[in-house]
Amino acid sequence: MPELPSYVALESESTLALDSTPGMGVQALQSRLPASGLFSRKGGLGLTFWICLGWVVFMILLAVLASVLPIKAPNFQDYSAVNVGPTARHLLGTDDLGRDLLSRVIFGSRVSLVIGFAPILAGLVIGGAAGLLAGYRSGPADTVLNAVSFVLLAFPALLAIMVIETFWKPVSLFKLTVMFTFVAAPLLFRVIRATTLSFSSREFVVAARATGAKTSRLLLRELLPNIVPAAVSFALIGVAIAIVLEGSLAFLGLSIGLPTSSLGNIINDGVNSNNLTLNPFIALWPSLYIFLLLTALNLMADRLRSYFDLREVTL
Amino acid sequence: MSRWSRRPQLSFPDVGSIEGPLLEVIDLHTSFRTGRGLVRAVDGVSLTLGRGRTLGVVGESGSGKTVLSRSIMGLVPGSNVERSGVVRFSGHDLTAMSLAELREVWGMQVALVFQDPMTALNPVVRVGRQITESLRLRAGLDRKAARETAVALLKSVGIPAPEQRLRNYPHELSGGMRQRVMIAIAVACGPKLLLADEPTTGLDVTVQAQILDLLAAQQSERHMGMILVTHDLGVVANRTDDIMVMYAGRVVEQAPTAELFAHTRMPYTEALMRSIPRLAEASHTRLRAIPGRPPDLAADLRGCRFAPRCPYVQEHCRKEEPPLRAAGQGHLFRCWYPVGSAEGDAALAYNVASRLPAALAFTGTPVRDAAMVAPNGVGIT
Amino acid sequence: MLRFTATRLVQLVVICFLISVFAFLLVHLLPGDPTLAILGPNDTPAARAVLLHQLGLNKGLLAQYGTWIVNIFHGNLGASFLTKQTVTNALSVAVPIDLELIVVSQVLALLVAIPMALIAALRPNRAFDRVATTSTFAMLSLPTFVAGPLLVLVFAVTLKWVPATGFNRLSQGLGPNLKSVILPSVALAIGSITVYYRLLRADLIATLQEDFVTMARSKGLSTRYILLRHVMRPSSFSLLAGAGISIGTLFTGAFVVEVLFQLPGIGFQLVQAIYGRDYLVVQGMALVAAVAFVVVNFGVDYLLTVLDPRVRRA
Repeated sequence: MPELPSYVALESESTLALDSTPGMGVQALQSRLPASGLFSRKGGLGLTFWICLGWVVFMILLAVLASVLPIKAPNFQDYSAVNVGPTARHLLGTDDLGRDLLSRVIFGSRVSLVIGFAPILAGLVIGGAAGLLAGYRSGPADTVLNAVSFVLLAFPALLAIMVIETFWKPVSLFKLTVMFTFVAAPLLFRVIRATTLSFSSREFVVAARATGAKTSRLLLRELLPNIVPAAVSFALIGVAIAIVLEGSLAFLGLSIGLPTSSLGNIINDGVNSNNLTLNPFIALWPSLYIFLLLTALNLMADRLRSYFDLREVTL
Repeated sequence: MSRWSRRPQLSFPDVGSIEGPLLEVIDLHTSFRTGRGLVRAVDGVSLTLGRGRTLGVVGESGSGKTVLSRSIMGLVPGSNVERSGVVRFSGHDLTAMSLAELREVWGMQVALVFQDPMTALNPVVRVGRQITESLRLRAGLDRKAARETAVALLKSVGIPAPEQRLRNYPHELSGGMRQRVMIAIAVACGPKLLLADEPTTGLDVTVQAQILDLLAAQQSERHMGMILVTHDLGVVANRTDDIMVMYAGRVVEQAPTAELFAHTRMPYTEALMRSIPRLAEASHTRLRAIPGRPPDLAADLRGCRFAPRCPYVQEHCRKEEPPLRAAGQGHLFRCWYPVGSAEGDAALAYNVASRLPAALAFTGTPVRDAAMVAPNGVGIT
Repeated sequence: MLRFTATRLVQLVVICFLISVFAFLLVHLLPGDPTLAILGPNDTPAARAVLLHQLGLNKGLLAQYGTWIVNIFHGNLGASFLTKQTVTNALSVAVPIDLELIVVSQVLALLVAIPMALIAALRPNRAFDRVATTSTFAMLSLPTFVAGPLLVLVFAVTLKWVPATGFNRLSQGLGPNLKSVILPSVALAIGSITVYYRLLRADLIATLQEDFVTMARSKGLSTRYILLRHVMRPSSFSLLAGAGISIGTLFTGAFVVEVLFQLPGIGFQLVQAIYGRDYLVVQGMALVAAVAFVVVNFGVDYLLTVLDPRVRRA
């Protein structure tokens, strides 16, 4: 059964005669970030978090440095080594056209990572800024933006993307990024707007305003530091969703055209009935990569959320 | 009978045939392991309660009184709780019982009235069911009998139109009615011991009186033992047989009610009594609050726990904690320089002369400069 | 109460209207001439002009939109150029498939997630909870386009327990129907399990800390009773909301599964239509899918507000 809340929380009365605790107002003025620094609360963010972060950084590095790494060319078809399992020469084996899987995965990850991070970053800037302003100052602009974002979100994103793609050929990384941004921005807008709204009514904002703080200062110094954790947590999940979205598109052959293959493309290749039975490695390695990447992202997002979520803190 | 579980069989002696006290608590300790250390919420409390008697437990926030009532029942859950001591109820040792056995006791033999009925009642379950579920599952009544009993209970606690009330949700009732419902639920299965945890806090003053009267009526009707936990001395003044004053997890004074008011010994109790505003005083009379705050129960406490705020404090108090000593009939207190004694008066005079802030506040000397802050660093209100 | 319902309905209508505009514009503002796709090799200027007139594509956008909307209210969502089938016909095939997929997959997900969440919430951060949370995380990281083929490989190809593709209608018997639906449903359920589990677990843990749970315990009621009769109800609201969103998105979100398992649901048909530049079908189906999502969401929202007795209504 659950734990009883701390003894402090049990007593909630305050009579004039007995209660002489000062500074309730002082407590209201403190914003909710831990005063003693980012990593001191509850034992810090945890080993898991840092491992995941390290893993993601490692993956990004691999992708960035792909061309200078000592791996084979991803599209080089070596017909003498078709469907070979993992060997010393080909660490992850080769596919049905003799291409080295390790380098295919690394080069493919470039596309997937860009598709994952770029739209989210762009969406954070656009949607985030809009959300911050809309949440802080609810005016006609806010209502309009809210309605627009709702409609944009109601419409199945995948559908819109598929439709646009078939008409806006050829599909390039840039075009995909733009389309994904159109999906990410409204989502991030709503999340950040909601978070901003919930903070705007808190006492520390009111107090800051009462002491004459300028809006820009308020937004930057008071609200933003409190919103960033929630936003980052959500953004990480957004990256995961974007990567999966790209994979689903690739599944339909609607992702980046050849010769640049994304991981989704490779998986798509690998799951047609021939390859799945003959050489499951083709589908396995990129799937594993995506699996690990998504797990790392999700774990990080979850840890961030629970670290900064005051409601879960118990004495 | 109950289709939800098989129950251990415990026997409890009948109404009038109890020998010895109904409840005996011997050196109860309840501590919580937290990130800040071990918080000793209840630090060695002993009490005895006879059938049909009422004990008032008085203390401020953080004194441990709520944890006490739950700990007596064994209701404090959690993996970070350490409990020691003995609680003997009607011949059985509650502290040695398993959870299943305790569940037999809860509701049927011992009942707890919670402080805030808005949070203690399930907001999405109808009031009627919250009353009848214990009747059906614990007392084995069938649906019809349970409903009739519930109606009778609601009537006995003074709720008009009880049949309609059964179908209401908690938020559809007023504060006073909710608390009456809570009392009805508590006494539904005829417990022998009632623990009332701040039953009147948050209610209007007029309603408070009604609720307390109701509790007293139920108690005498059912010949229950009752422990009334509160921070408000006014609540216990005329309605209890004995009073126990708690501070920082310890009992600091314990006496029959009349004796406590007539011959207060512990300075904390005295301060509590003085802090009650009286109608007879002129308006704008300054409230005599007790400056400072209760100590941090996770810290290593040395000496008397009330020392930082006590007007009578001396060096000895800070060094050594006074033990509970007897002063006449069933009167225990914990103080080196008790109120009304020669040593106590001398100590107070000495403190006033040396301008100890707590003593000055006690005697009503107004605070004039910012340097007069209480020892634990908090300004005098 | 009535006012509240009316406001919601009005909002619903406005959103649906906006969606229809969006769907229309989406198809009509894109570059590329649908006539080329339709005529194929028979493309001559004359033929194109005739076709343009036939399709009404030479009228202004507003007029085209107007015609489309009016047609919808007459029950005519348009027809496909390729299959000559009306959209409504295609929908009548697709919708039951999707409904069955949704029902089976969500029921499966709930059957797994609810008991898991109950056990985990009773002993948070202990062995079972950690295992459950980790494994649901893993499920979250398995996209359907990975999980689907994996399931096919194991259950259809290797073990040969169920067919790999194709849909057997209920009219052909419950057995074959379930067999063709079970694998795609499992693939869909995997994603939902995590969401339900985490939502419910969080809600349960929060509810278990409430005073009324301690009070119920103090009455001597058993843990099982308290869980099922006191705790589940207030905790299921966020579950309901989550289910609403899940169901809403599954109408189109299932398309990976539909394509993989060759089930002619809405998503599958949409993909075909998009490939074939069948713009009327795309328009019509997109509208239906989006409206379904919005309706389900509004419905769940409304239901939540109505069901929760804690919400005081003036």
